[in-house]
Amino acid sequence: MRVNAGNLKKGEFVTFQGEICQVQKADFYSPGKGSALMKARLKNLITAKNVEYAYKSNEQIEVLDVTSVDMQYIYKDQENLYFMDERTFNQSALPISLVGDISRFFKEGEKMFVYMYNDKPLTIRPPMSVRLKITEADDAAKGDTVSGAKKPVKVETGATVMVPIFVKVGETISINPETGEYTGRV
Amino acid sequence: MKIQTTIKNLDNYKIYLQVEKSVHEFFEQNNYLKVDLPVLSPALIPESYLEIFETKFNYLGKKEKLYLTPSPEIFLKRLLVAGVGNCYYLGRAYRNSEPNSDWHNPEFTMLEFYKLGINYLEMAEEVLKLLQFISKKCHPRSSRGSSASFNHWEKFSVAQAFKKFAGIKEKELFKEKLFFNKAKEKGYNIEKTTYEDLFSQIMATEIEPNLGIRGCSTLLFDYPKQMASLAKLNEDGRTAQRCEFYINGLEIGGFCTELNDHNEQQKRFIFESEKRKKNKMIDHTIDKGFIKALKYGLPFCTGAGIGFERLVMIFANVKSIDKLKLINII
Repeated sequence: MRVNAGNLKKGEFVTFQGEICQVQKADFYSPGKGSALMKARLKNLITAKNVEYAYKSNEQIEVLDVTSVDMQYIYKDQENLYFMDERTFNQSALPISLVGDISRFFKEGEKMFVYMYNDKPLTIRPPMSVRLKITEADDAAKGDTVSGAKKPVKVETGATVMVPIFVKVGETISINPETGEYTGRV
Repeated sequence: MKIQTTIKNLDNYKIYLQVEKSVHEFFEQNNYLKVDLPVLSPALIPESYLEIFETKFNYLGKKEKLYLTPSPEIFLKRLLVAGVGNCYYLGRAYRNSEPNSDWHNPEFTMLEFYKLGINYLEMAEEVLKLLQFISKKCHPRSSRGSSASFNHWEKFSVAQAFKKFAGIKEKELFKEKLFFNKAKEKGYNIEKTTYEDLFSQIMATEIEPNLGIRGCSTLLFDYPKQMASLAKLNEDGRTAQRCEFYINGLEIGGFCTELNDHNEQQKRFIFESEKRKKNKMIDHTIDKGFIKALKYGLPFCTGAGIGFERLVMIFANVKSIDKLKLINII
């Protein structure tokens, strides 16, 4: 679909210099002289590197028609994360380096959306929130009554999260995987 | 759009107040007059790249169009002609058709000041003094965690910056045909594009991300004459006496030796207002009194404009303007 670059949105996919990229950020920018620009941060889905590019806001660009498929995260090895389409049992692999830090919050068996283009997996659609059980945590230090005080805990995927001091081992918490922040107890 | 209350920004907002206070102190100590100005005006300076907000004043069955000012220049230059001397404005300005982003809101705070008898390079020293003064009161942090210093400028002429960061040679920058060819070779779309558009696009893509990231702020000077705005031209005839400065890849402000040739200004008025009509922008009343004032005589001076929220972002170490505000319209 061809759109004005001024309408480009975070999360969309475009081809840039011959390679598929996902828009990480798109900000309208008026330099004061010359027409307005759309400053975009594009993540190259092959190299996982970000590149900055300023489109003229009235420039026509092709936004790729990408579908998101409901898949199950099954396991990972040193390099890749593996997902399975539960209807077709087809497996897809995505490099850990591409998916990034959020994969430390992925639990085997969890359902997730994977973006596909021409039957090839591009990347995942990060879940808004994940629920994980706390496996290791220190007890709150006595006398520590500072409002908002936090402590590090380990969750079942092995990742460390900062939580309020009253949260205990065995409790399930919700986390925003993109920021790694604790958002509440479940 | 909706109203968002963000009390968690209180600490950042306090930094905003601290920077604001030190700006007033600096100008008071350096004998600039603080000027309060209207933000509603019955006429404006035509600018083809800025859309404006229009409203109507209703009284006794009559209606009069009024416009929110996109910059205080329209009033400050009148005052300079009238003999106000060195002066500054710290207050609201409004620009339409530019959506909210990390670095811009349609309603924003502008610091604009004028000093008589100095040119753009001397103003660079004055701006640096201001930044140093604020730094003493507040503690700037760069986005990379290290302290952003205002001890000196990292200076590049625009031609040097294009060569260093975009591999565009001086003769390619100043000859439009060569510039278009080079841009095409680099993969830019040059169809239906002006020199100004292409310049801004390459600047934003290849140059700006490299500015103000080596521990001090970067000053760019001597813009091609096509980007002169209201700046006086240099004797070389191809560059204008205009500077802009950057911190963490973001343009914070700019200044230029003011054009005080009223004939040239009038030509620019006509050109810009025709361009506005062609681009179907709001057909606002043109401020003829502004040209009249310039005809009387604008003293030799340099004017500087700083996006105040962007400046405070450096001192509060935040990456977006909304983090500085207790109330955001989003």
